[in-house]
Amino acid sequence: MDPRVTGEQRYSVDAARPGMLHAAFVRSPHAHARVLSVGASAVPAGCVVLTPADVADLGPYGCQVKDQGVLADPARHVGDVVAAVAAPTRAAARAAARLVEVEYEELPAVFDPLEAVARGAPLVHEHAAASAGDAVSIGVRPIARTNVCHRFRIRHGDVGEGFAQADVVVEEVFRTPGAAHAPMEPHAALAEWEDGRLTLWSGTQTPFNTRADLAGLFGIAEEQIRVVAPPMGGSFGAKTFVRLEALVAALARKAGKPVKAVLDRAEEFVTLNRHPAVVRVRIGARRDGTLVAKEVDCWVDTGAYADCGPGVATKMGYAGVGPYRIPHVRVDALAIYTNLPSNGAFRGYGAMQSVWASERTMDVLAAELGISPLELRRMNLLHDGDVFATGEVMHDVHFEDCLRAAADAVGYEADPRGKGLCVLLKGMQTPSRAAISVERTPVGYIVRSASCEMGQGVRRSLKLMGAELLGCEPGQVEVPDPDTDSSPYDTRTTSSRSTYMMGRALREAVRDLERDGERGLGEVRNEGGLDPDTGQGIASTHWHQGAAAAQVAVDRETGRLTVEHLHAAVYAGRVVNRPGAELQNEGSMLMGLGTALFEEIEFADGQVANANLSDYNLPAAGDMPRLTHELIEREGAEVHGLGETALPPVPPAIGNALASLGVHVTELPITAERVLEALDR
Amino acid sequence: MRVELILNGRGATLDARTDEMLLEALRREGLLSVRETCAIGVCGACTVLLDGEPVSACLTLAAQAAGHEVTTVEGLAESDPVLRAFDEAHAFQCGWCTPGFVLTVKAMQPGDEIREALGGNLCRCGCYVKIEEAVRRCGS
Repeated sequence: MDPRVTGEQRYSVDAARPGMLHAAFVRSPHAHARVLSVGASAVPAGCVVLTPADVADLGPYGCQVKDQGVLADPARHVGDVVAAVAAPTRAAARAAARLVEVEYEELPAVFDPLEAVARGAPLVHEHAAASAGDAVSIGVRPIARTNVCHRFRIRHGDVGEGFAQADVVVEEVFRTPGAAHAPMEPHAALAEWEDGRLTLWSGTQTPFNTRADLAGLFGIAEEQIRVVAPPMGGSFGAKTFVRLEALVAALARKAGKPVKAVLDRAEEFVTLNRHPAVVRVRIGARRDGTLVAKEVDCWVDTGAYADCGPGVATKMGYAGVGPYRIPHVRVDALAIYTNLPSNGAFRGYGAMQSVWASERTMDVLAAELGISPLELRRMNLLHDGDVFATGEVMHDVHFEDCLRAAADAVGYEADPRGKGLCVLLKGMQTPSRAAISVERTPVGYIVRSASCEMGQGVRRSLKLMGAELLGCEPGQVEVPDPDTDSSPYDTRTTSSRSTYMMGRALREAVRDLERDGERGLGEVRNEGGLDPDTGQGIASTHWHQGAAAAQVAVDRETGRLTVEHLHAAVYAGRVVNRPGAELQNEGSMLMGLGTALFEEIEFADGQVANANLSDYNLPAAGDMPRLTHELIEREGAEVHGLGETALPPVPPAIGNALASLGVHVTELPITAERVLEALDR
Repeated sequence: MRVELILNGRGATLDARTDEMLLEALRREGLLSVRETCAIGVCGACTVLLDGEPVSACLTLAAQAAGHEVTTVEGLAESDPVLRAFDEAHAFQCGWCTPGFVLTVKAMQPGDEIREALGGNLCRCGCYVKIEEAVRRCGS
């Protein structure tokens, strides 16, 4: 029986080492403040306090921009860690952390990405340097002496000329709020130093990226760091790149003992969230519905530290173009620092924010043209051999199949009232590298890879694919936890790439095993990337493709929106693990439903106002509408990633369904208040 | 203080502080299926059965268990029909919340409305479709 059912599954919160201490963090109550002094005289003996002097020799870190110190000075958001404590118990550590005295000098702060790019806005960072290595696959383009840590552009055709050809032009502005990943398991990490070598047990999607960043931080070789990644109790992007690892490693170095940190729920809300964004879309079409020009501007709030904000802004930018043939395209996406907690990878990686804007705008355009939203999409969709706005030629394209399936599921053509559609193009990490090994044992095989298990089922997919290739039972294939000492290199477990990339690498490894007899190694790379100044190149070697349809009813008295039916159609190519694939679709749709209807982190002067699971609502069983979905397969097709595709199209499908009833809501979530406001307009 | 109780069918003594929650005391006993998640009794991940009734271990003082019967999933046999139903229906992804759901379902009565009964348990992976299927399997 699966250990997740019997409760035997162990996570990083359960990791333990003899003699380990427990960490607690001293967090800034101010959104932006210089740290004048840290006093630890009131802290009882037996506790270890990490102060700015203890980390003075440690370099900055950050996966795409090196803009973060182990301890913050200045503190750049409410909850930024300015000191840390280790003690024999978690309760003692937390009590001691309250006794650390910190003197601050408050600085002006900014909480909105548009205000942060206005003249005279307070600067969140004076200096920051771009990172190198595999965590940053695009050239980062900061704008000096501003809060812009990266700007991404697409220049395709000539939008001036394109709009001159347009008979109809519409322009709309949309907003999406910050949101919490809220994995049920909080962040947890345990660090231990032995003879100058650091071992970390951390629930992370990025063991190798984390190792590289920490090696730079501590000034040691990457091989001097070992990262073991136990299964996660959910992540959804929250457990990517360095989170607690630098803090526990620095505490353990000072304490001379292993140190473990486990966050509480309120701390989760100041650790990593989803990027709030403002997206403006302007689109022009000929009278017959042919799209001729599109402009997309994204203001992407990356919070106090860039994290992977440059990557998110890039993907938000090109996903906002949509899966359409458009000869003239301009995109400008800015990743902007503010004094909010850092924002990072979140299931969908920026696609949801711009697809919410661009697919809602498609329905506005359809209404202006007097063409059915389904027909307007269908006639402009990309097909094999078409050129996308990045200049790349599209291949293995199935957008029309997805859209048609979604529309049919709600009977869209027969009666579109109260119904809405959305079609999605989302890229996969490009470039990247995935390696895997297979060893023969007396009873079966051991498959080692750094693909991390977070509930998406990668262990089971590797067992099933391994068994098929090796001609054995899945139970004979052992898949140990990722360990940078013994697992071959993998870029990271993100962007729904593992089944596709590791599956291909596994095929190579099995071939190699057949040659060697004992051990086989397989590696695949996908090459490409975009020029950040022109947006030309290869955005993705593998396209995630999906569509959603929603059917809704609205109470015009109360503003209550009821989703009656939600359907997603996702291109799967070939399904490896059917229950796992279904769960990914269902889970993505439910997270999309929460995004559409109620999930929002509320801030008051930079302070999270709903940092608990009572005030921040997650979808429960009773929130489910009629939920249906399908996995579109084709004979002989390649495996396609499925981890995120069904999330981004859900909010626009619901928004478009509501708009078909004359209620035009531009900001998520679609609360009763926003429905009533839209009815009043 | 010493808390004497029946834990997973056997007499046991928990050594707990007077202000300590059952969650911490059970974890110290090695019952790591009981997991702190929201810490305010809304998510159900730390659900245990107290005399057969589901309670949040994060809101129950260890002292309240004195003289009572406490069950965690570690106390269920592998042949337990609810465990089997969850396994067979693939009603989990990361598995963090699964023990809480299993125990909630253990306490359901015939005729209980499924979604209402599951209202106190959250699954962020969003496995509700298959969890409902698991509950229906138990019923049949």
